[in-house]
Amino acid sequence: MLVVQNLNVFHGPIEAVHGISFTVKEGSCVSLLGPNGAGKTSTISAITGVAKSTGRIMFADEDISTLPVEIRIRKGIAVSPEGRRVFANLSVKENLRLGGAYNTANVDRLIAEWFETFPILAERRDQMAGTLSGGEQQMLAIARALMSEPRILLLDEPSLGLAPKIVTQIFEMIKRLKEKRMTILLVEQNATLALRLSDHAYLLNNGLIVADGTAETFGSNDALMAELTGLA
Amino acid sequence: MTLSRSQKRGLVGASLLALVLILIGTIATYFGSKYQLRIVYGSYVSLMVVLALQVFMGNARITNLSHSAFMGIGAYAAAICVTPIAMKKISLPSAPWGLNAFALDPVTSGVIAIAITAIIALLIGLILVRLSGIGATIVSLAVLVIVHSLFLYRTDIFKGNQAFFGIPQVFTLTSAIIIAVIMVYVVRGFKESRWGIALRASADDEISAAAMGVNVHRLRLLAWVLSCVLLAVAGIAYSYYLGTISARPFYFNHVFLTLAMLILGGMRTVTGAVLGTFIISFGLEWVRWLETGPTILGQKFPEVLGLSGVVLGSVIVLIMALRPGGIMGDREIEDFILKNTE
Repeated sequence: MLVVQNLNVFHGPIEAVHGISFTVKEGSCVSLLGPNGAGKTSTISAITGVAKSTGRIMFADEDISTLPVEIRIRKGIAVSPEGRRVFANLSVKENLRLGGAYNTANVDRLIAEWFETFPILAERRDQMAGTLSGGEQQMLAIARALMSEPRILLLDEPSLGLAPKIVTQIFEMIKRLKEKRMTILLVEQNATLALRLSDHAYLLNNGLIVADGTAETFGSNDALMAELTGLA
Repeated sequence: MTLSRSQKRGLVGASLLALVLILIGTIATYFGSKYQLRIVYGSYVSLMVVLALQVFMGNARITNLSHSAFMGIGAYAAAICVTPIAMKKISLPSAPWGLNAFALDPVTSGVIAIAITAIIALLIGLILVRLSGIGATIVSLAVLVIVHSLFLYRTDIFKGNQAFFGIPQVFTLTSAIIIAVIMVYVVRGFKESRWGIALRASADDEISAAAMGVNVHRLRLLAWVLSCVLLAVAGIAYSYYLGTISARPFYFNHVFLTLAMLILGGMRTVTGAVLGTFIISFGLEWVRWLETGPTILGQKFPEVLGLSGVVLGSVIVLIMALRPGGIMGDREIEDFILKNTE
């Protein structure tokens, strides 16, 4: 579904990612793991087209690396950004509506579905999203991304800054998405949690992929796990 | 076309505001003295300016200081087109490009004035929308100064500080009420439209909005040009009523006055724009009366020149300190009568 080849990502003159390659198969969940500043979020930004990059990004057998952001979204890429980043001064409903801006025919039906899935969002539909709790904001961010009915969902640090109990809820939600065969590229610092859901994982450090393998290979490699969990 | 729930609420809100505008205008028309009519007319023109300002500032959240200049461009362009040739031969004897050799009807002149303002807005907007925050505001300030300088020094076209007279006075208070009501619908409609939502989202978080396919620059440019077109309409309404314009009313004092109106009411809402305009318009009349040293209950008060400026400045300082979202914050008028959940 998504094939990234030799990707370099730039922020102005700084190169944050140096020629990485990875693949996400249809219906699978792949994690990009690694510490702060490893280049995980930069990689996500390059796939959506927000950050400048060189190299090839193939999506559904088509090179999308030169297409503008809105075309990539129309083709079925959606992102739930790092740090939740809901639009604080828009209502819950407006946030969802914006997520479905390129999917206008189904917006009302999808909003109704999400309100059924998360009754708390329905209750707060006219509230400014900035007044929601962290967990509610994360749910909203993921729901907003799914409003475009994407073929691949890019999840950037969904556990960041949330209480452990809430993190469990969010990962339950991701698990349900996976069961529905949603293709997911998951960026996480919390490797233990991410590996539980992932079919395959890549470890990034300083803009390079330093290891990759199935969740099992990562789990059985004590040295790698020690590095990932920060116990090294 | 089906309307979303927030769009339906917007329609209710705009209609309520329209009712208020029609009510105030009707009372003034039937009971106001000639002087009071002028004050009320002035407040409706201010309202047009503040509504126009809200389109850009309220949705893109970029402070604009050039709005009075665009109002001036609209006013002068219409005035030059509509003023009779005989009049222009006297007031603009050395006008270039045959500007004093033609005259058009008020409607055509208005359309031309709007088109000219829109083109200038588009050219300036192409630069301005790429900047955000302070950068954009400074550019808008520079535009204000440039336009004002042109008004002042091209006396052969604009007459500078002297009055540009002889504009046919074709507007009445009723015309201003109708225009203001239409503007309320346009401005609220924009706020609740797909573009309005996307623009407000980009003001919250430019990068996230971009990641969702929002083209921030294009939307800002759209709001900017729409705002300037509405400002041109305000300028036309101003000149078509007074019959006389000069460069001074389109400069700092006016920028400051209308900005205070928007900030007081709350720039994020259309209701705030209307409320702030009327509070300051009518409040300032009262302050001006205090300035003259009136006698109240037998007590003679001293004359305090410049009180209105102090009051206006204090309003901005107090609102910024105590209630940065203005009186209305995020609430529109219909929020007081409609339930929040269906």
